[in-house]
Amino acid sequence: MKEVMAIIRINMINKTKKALADAGIPSFMARECLGRGKGVVDFSVLRGAEKGYEEAISQLGQTQRLIPKRWLTIVVPDKLVRRTVETIISANQTGKAGDGKIFVLPIAEVYRVRTGEAGDRALDEA
Amino acid sequence: MVMVRAIVRPEKTDAVLEALMDAGFPAVTKVSVVGRGKQRGIKIGEITYDELPKELLITVVKSKDKDYVIKTIMQAARSGSSGSFGDGKIFVSPVEEVYTVSSGVKDEDDLVAQAGAADAGGEG
Repeated sequence: MKEVMAIIRINMINKTKKALADAGIPSFMARECLGRGKGVVDFSVLRGAEKGYEEAISQLGQTQRLIPKRWLTIVVPDKLVRRTVETIISANQTGKAGDGKIFVLPIAEVYRVRTGEAGDRALDEA
Repeated sequence: MVMVRAIVRPEKTDAVLEALMDAGFPAVTKVSVVGRGKQRGIKIGEITYDELPKELLITVVKSKDKDYVIKTIMQAARSGSSGSFGDGKIFVSPVEEVYTVSSGVKDEDDLVAQAGAADAGGEG
């Protein structure tokens, strides 16, 4: 089993949900989060600095601003990892910075609370 | 690649984020969480508070940067000179694959400059 952890744009969540359901991966967990990446650009500061505002220029390089994102957690059997990753990428790709990141992490054990089933059987769709 | 998950005091979050930025690890994801630790929360009079608000900071870094990142977070998140209960925990777990959505490229451990949890920028 693998955990696919994806950080995506907030306005892409509905499209991603639909794409995942169509790909046969309906179950996942989503959360709101805040984040920044390696290329944080605060456009309001940039525009202000362009117009020569002293305050904006002094803020250049101080990129403390965090951007709201959606955090998806999907636990899938090994054979579905590729499909999950490709589905998320194709649904979310705009080609611009800020589309997000996908991490694949190992999961040691999975249990279904309702029946106590363990392993891949707990992930199988009923 | 490894994922470093740090649970820190909310009031220390900005200090940690700034320290990580200065250390050259800008990419971080932040989530508000509640939880309790070994001390079973805080007991004030008759009332026990066992859902203490904390911030969960997630960052993914190259394996060789792990110790440096942990040290940076640890120093910034500690309250007082020697630390105290409730300063938080840091968990490290392996990450097998990392993809950047905008390019669709799989980041390799030695190729990527620094892959973080959230690639920020653009129109959110």
